Amino acid sequence: MIRLSTTALAILGLIAGFVLLVLYGPLLVAIFFSFFKFENNAVQWDSFSFDAYRSLIHDEGIIDAVLNTLLVGGVAVCLALVLGTALAFYYNSSRSRLREVLQLLIFLPFLMPPIITGLSLLVFFRETDIPRSLVTVVIGHTVFVLALAYRIILARLQTLRSSLVEASLDLGASRWQTFRYVLAPSLMSALGASAILAFALSFDETLITLLVTGTKSTLPMRLWAMMRMGFTPDINALVTIILAGSTGLSLLAIRFVGVTSRR
Amino acid sequence: MTAVRVAARGEDERHVGYRLVITLLAYALPVVFILLPLILFLIQSFYYVDHGDIVRELTLRNYERFFTGRAFLPVFIKTCWLCLGVAAITVLFGYPVAYLLASLEGRRKYVMMVIFVIPLMMSYIIKIYAIRAILGGNGFLNRILLFFGIIDQPLTFLIFNLQAVLLTLSVILLPFAMLPIFIALERIPRSLIDASFDLGASSFQTFRDVIWPLSLQGTIVGATFTFVLALGDFITPQMVGGTSGFTFGRIIYSQFGFAFNWPFGAALSVILLAVVLVAIVGTGLLARTRHQL
Repeated sequence: MIRLSTTALAILGLIAGFVLLVLYGPLLVAIFFSFFKFENNAVQWDSFSFDAYRSLIHDEGIIDAVLNTLLVGGVAVCLALVLGTALAFYYNSSRSRLREVLQLLIFLPFLMPPIITGLSLLVFFRETDIPRSLVTVVIGHTVFVLALAYRIILARLQTLRSSLVEASLDLGASRWQTFRYVLAPSLMSALGASAILAFALSFDETLITLLVTGTKSTLPMRLWAMMRMGFTPDINALVTIILAGSTGLSLLAIRFVGVTSRR
Repeated sequence: MTAVRVAARGEDERHVGYRLVITLLAYALPVVFILLPLILFLIQSFYYVDHGDIVRELTLRNYERFFTGRAFLPVFIKTCWLCLGVAAITVLFGYPVAYLLASLEGRRKYVMMVIFVIPLMMSYIIKIYAIRAILGGNGFLNRILLFFGIIDQPLTFLIFNLQAVLLTLSVILLPFAMLPIFIALERIPRSLIDASFDLGASSFQTFRDVIWPLSLQGTIVGATFTFVLALGDFITPQMVGGTSGFTFGRIIYSQFGFAFNWPFGAALSVILLAVVLVAIVGTGLLARTRHQL
């Protein structure tokens, strides 16, 4: 445990306070102006209203974008979980040296800047004549979040003692039964944590999406387009809703991860 | 027990074909959707564009253009410096915060950790937007300063330049630097620090001679994280950089957009990737030598 003197504590506390202000300031400003109007160079304190939220419901472009985002996120997370689990099992059971190469390959889209992942997929889709659409966005997101799902599941798998599986097989369980009744239950929390984190990543993914998307836009695309035209209270309202959603999601993820690490 | 093992081995041999299929399946998707695109991308960088059409002949002219063209190399170097600046700022602020968190006890430590990491989960575009709303000529900061009479004209140097890009990227990426530093600090065995105090070292000496060297690896990893992420960004510079905040990522993006010179854009990206690889491999090597010490 690191011990701090009172002076050190005061200095570090000041820096931490400043960092908190910088990290949260922008978010708080957006939330504030989703409820209050700014007119004649002053905050109109009596202008508190939900108008901005009401007009959001009638904006079809935004609702479309939200639905697209949820769809892409949902499909990409499912694909990443299935692939991540399969690849983690393969890595864990394989004794081949090539498995390290395979692992590096899985990690690459996460290690490289998103612009490289996005552009290489863009070139790939054109060379193979795959038209850009939500399908290509799903592929991009899956490739991106796979590393995360794979890593969490593999870490979980490696903490399981092989004696568990051996005992199950010795007692006459089939491979499927061993998976179903021994491995799957202990993987559940890892799967939950990876699902939430992967979904959060996919929900916010902007750089890859921008490069591989067709005519349909996800929420970050839509926000970007709205912002280039100028600021409206609607954006602030949307921002607030998303912030509430992502805070809830991160708290949920932390609960899951907490459960995982405590076991 | 041995009988079971032998039986299991026999079963394994029967499953050689089955294992081969599994292996092929495991490699298929990562190779098709990760390796193949990268290879095609690399090949693309050796093509060139003639009258708006991509000519599929291998040539080095894109790379030649990068090194001889007047505009590209300076922007590239400027961008590298910018991203080093982002790495420096994020570590400079991330380290003290991580240090404070590591010194907290029990539950409080993790609650604080969560508070500092939550902004990482929040929309990237929204953060850029909000920072722009704060720094802009008509923005929040200017209004506060005007209100208190500290300035009488809105400050215009806050936004739409390279400093604004530096600032925005630093704010967005700060938690990325903090996490590895925090993890490194957490891993330092308590006994080492206790021993240092017991042997009469002051808290500053303990920091300088025990904690700092042991957390250096995590600090370098954090700096690499933010450097790599900043290097590839093209939306932040576009949103807050204005015309003077032109970065390498923006140039690459424009080759795929209105300039429509994919091979040249690919070549520029390969150069960017080379820098990223040097940074990542360099970090790996540094980390390894640290381990051996």
